[in-house]
Amino acid sequence: MKIYGLELLRGLGITMGRFIATYTVGFKRTFVNRNRGSFRQSASEKGVFTVQYPEERLKPPERFRVLPVLIYDGKKGDTRTQQAERCTSCGICAKVCPPQCIWIVQAKDAAGKAIPKAAEFSIDTDVCMNCGFCAEFCPFDAIKMDHDFELSNGERHQSHIFDINKLHVSTEYYAETHPIAWAEEQARKKADAERKAAAAAAAAAAAKKAAETPPQ
Amino acid sequence: MSEILFRPTEDQILEQEVRRHVAVTTWDKLISMLDPVYNWGRSNSVWPLQFGLACCAIEMICTAASRFDIARFGAELFRASPRQADLMIVSGTVTKKMVPMIVRLYNQMPEPKYLISMGACASAGGPFKEGYNVVSGIDKFLPVDVYIPGCPPTPQALLNGLITLQEKIHGQKISTARWYSEGPGQEVPVPLLGPDLIDTRRNQEIKEICALPEPAKPAVLPSYITAPKLTPTEAEGASAAAVALAARLNKAVGDGSVTLSGSALLVTPASLQAVASYLKLQPDLKLNYLTNLTCVDYQDCFEVVYHLQSLPGTGAPLALKVRADKTDPRVPTVMGIWPGADFQEREVFDMFGVRFEGHPNLKRILMWDGFHGYPLRKDYLEAYYEAPGKIFPSRWKEGHHQRAEEKARFGDNLKYPNGFDPALFQPAKESFAAGTPAVADGIRTDDLVINLGPQHPSTHGVFRMKIRVDGERILALEPVMGYMHRNHEKIGERNNYLMIFPYTDRLDYICSMGNNFGYALAVEKLLNVKPTERAEYIRVIMAELTRIVSHFWAVGFLLNDLGAFFTPALYAIEERELILDLFEMASGSRMMCNYFRFGGVAADLPAEFLPMAKALVNDRIPKAIELMDNYLAKNEILLNRCRGVGVLPKDAAIAYSAAGPVLRASGVSYDLRKADPYSIYDRFDFDVPTAQEGDVYARYRVRIAEMWESLKILRKALAEIPAGEIQAGKKLWNIRVPAGESYGRVENPKGELGYYIVSDGTDHPYRYHVRAPSFINLTALEKMCKGHLVADVVAILGSIDIVLGETDR
Repeated sequence: MKIYGLELLRGLGITMGRFIATYTVGFKRTFVNRNRGSFRQSASEKGVFTVQYPEERLKPPERFRVLPVLIYDGKKGDTRTQQAERCTSCGICAKVCPPQCIWIVQAKDAAGKAIPKAAEFSIDTDVCMNCGFCAEFCPFDAIKMDHDFELSNGERHQSHIFDINKLHVSTEYYAETHPIAWAEEQARKKADAERKAAAAAAAAAAAKKAAETPPQ
Repeated sequence: MSEILFRPTEDQILEQEVRRHVAVTTWDKLISMLDPVYNWGRSNSVWPLQFGLACCAIEMICTAASRFDIARFGAELFRASPRQADLMIVSGTVTKKMVPMIVRLYNQMPEPKYLISMGACASAGGPFKEGYNVVSGIDKFLPVDVYIPGCPPTPQALLNGLITLQEKIHGQKISTARWYSEGPGQEVPVPLLGPDLIDTRRNQEIKEICALPEPAKPAVLPSYITAPKLTPTEAEGASAAAVALAARLNKAVGDGSVTLSGSALLVTPASLQAVASYLKLQPDLKLNYLTNLTCVDYQDCFEVVYHLQSLPGTGAPLALKVRADKTDPRVPTVMGIWPGADFQEREVFDMFGVRFEGHPNLKRILMWDGFHGYPLRKDYLEAYYEAPGKIFPSRWKEGHHQRAEEKARFGDNLKYPNGFDPALFQPAKESFAAGTPAVADGIRTDDLVINLGPQHPSTHGVFRMKIRVDGERILALEPVMGYMHRNHEKIGERNNYLMIFPYTDRLDYICSMGNNFGYALAVEKLLNVKPTERAEYIRVIMAELTRIVSHFWAVGFLLNDLGAFFTPALYAIEERELILDLFEMASGSRMMCNYFRFGGVAADLPAEFLPMAKALVNDRIPKAIELMDNYLAKNEILLNRCRGVGVLPKDAAIAYSAAGPVLRASGVSYDLRKADPYSIYDRFDFDVPTAQEGDVYARYRVRIAEMWESLKILRKALAEIPAGEIQAGKKLWNIRVPAGESYGRVENPKGELGYYIVSDGTDHPYRYHVRAPSFINLTALEKMCKGHLVADVVAILGSIDIVLGETDR
């Protein structure tokens, strides 16, 4: 005769086991491996821990992307000058944007000639799909994906169109959120500069040599 | 002196004393002392409506699960009835077809009620804003309390939005609360579905604009290409096999009925059915499986394309084409030969206006009956139409920001025929074959029509079923979809090839990596690019992790549907969170990975990826699958609810074009990773699990078994992944694709995901079609449900495992 309900009890046993584990594992985590603030769970920890947002939050991985930001060279809180802005208004980000949410007006000098700076730069955050193409394809490291996700508010018509002032962050801020990419960028720029210097030195040496050897 | 003159009377002294020693205040002040308690109580027991629209809803579910645990805010009681809910979280794209239901639900919520607009789509249409079926923001109809930007907002962002809402509640006063002061709440008028969405509050204005002469057409219209030329001989480009088959068909069916275009058979409409049944019935051909059916709008004709397969078998599908006249396109239906053509033919009718003669129920499927125009025709221009292809010139150099609404004729994403008067519009009655009254035991009984969805906790999104029942037995069932039709294909035909990647993420939003994969394959075929070795391994690892994620999700939510509310689902999506961590560290996003590129992947794996992935694959995931199976597999309730329910016999599964676990659970061993191997799957040793019963339980077993097989592949891939480049050639942002057509497909967790692309040599596809397994698997739903109880319908639907982003596209 088959007894009904044994498997049901087994299922309930599993639930019970997990209920008890929330205390045994949770106790250890709370009092032994205390890590409040920002963290990521490792695969070796049992179960899945509740992130006590807003007291603590998941540490965003470096590539985490929410909305794009523009970068200027400088420290946080510096007065941003057009000189320090990295954007050259080349327009690649606006062109590669899948929902076409980036709008750029190229800056002009006093004579009305276009200069490689942006006069206006707007992103419609209610159209943006956070895909990261703009940052991926920017040739000047001028637009990057920010980590800030705490953006909720009660109004969208004015506040959700980010303009050039709202979009800009400093390289110092960017270096903090994206340490690996920042180090890579610095290394790449250094290597480029060295290569350029070496090429310049070689060219100078060649020119000197050419000047020294009399024409035949 | 004055002191004596103005000495207070005794009364006044008394009053002063009372004021000094006894608390006396005004009524308003007294009430306002209650405000903090009142608001504290309300803000910590906000009950959201159990209501999800699109991708954002998945993040909303994760917010309710263990890792983020919305219960900490007293908001865990997701109520299935609007009458018990305080908060509506509009989580995802609001489509025109869905907005009447949303307004109705909101009207049914009692005051005080709040509304959170979650994600870019809900706030303003988001990336789908330009689509013809998308509402540019829920605030056009309902008052919004909190907006959460993001696409999709992460669970933490949703919690942040909830905190913002709680702060707003804390600022409210009993004395000025609108639900105490204003009498009965004003209902928002429910919009109507006419030639386009009709907001009845704007009737007069719309009538006036419609009376004006039609504005001039935009300067640049989409251009046509002509249908591919005929290639009757091998010398002109057809394959030898195709030439031989065409000759054989001409002999069998009648001379001149079949020619060749490329290697595809081009059949005359008159001989289509004869050719189709010949192909199906000849024992050596046995093309019994209609994989994909779609249509292309050329300058000179509509070309309907059929992709055929012989099951169980291997190899690439055979393409069959029929050309229909431009002015009155008609093609005979093939439903008699392949019943799986049902929904696909309806979709072609809906999008192109091609009439399939003999189809028993030819009406719109994604849009509503009465919608004006055939949206996928090249001459259909949406209200927000700007240019035939992206890049839009208005964005750069002189790109002053301007909302699409400001340029549109009706100031919104709307398009009415000229002379239209919304006040005179009468909505059409929905049709459903009337039941016949019967007499049982001397009592006259009647059939009852029940409506399940689109707002229902067990429909996995905004899916609707019209069910006719006799008592509790199902007599007929008609799926109604399109409530999340986000115009993926129309937008795709305007996007350049790269831009489509992030849109594919949003098809089956549980499996974005798999969607990327199929699309990359389809375009790589045309580009003739081969990804690097490391990239191939990364792709396989991501695709198999996705399969595990999706099957965990499917199993967990099948149990949800069966009534085991949320506990199994919670266990099932625990491991998912950690796999999403892997996706997030590699691609930058939990759900919308956008990780594949033509010839490679977007970025190399970060240093911590492989150790974490190995730990998960070798230790945690096997334990979790085992636990899940121990927990459920033999459970008596589960067995009773699932065994023998929703049986789809083997022949029917093939005939109805079922795919993926649904097909394999009916005893057909067909998995594209083996049958038409792509990427590097031929190097891995794995089995294709099948089951013979074809019921809900068999589908459950197949999914669990497939997870074990995925683990086999993952172990080998993670151990063997070579170092090296991740991108073949240079990564280009605006790639031109050689003219031609291709059909690329992958075995996604839900079944065969195919992309049919016609390129005209420019930077955006001329035709872009997605063969969505979630959509086509539903064709057999009625067959599976007939004769079962109403309660079984949700179980059967759960076992098919649909995702509405893909069903409706």
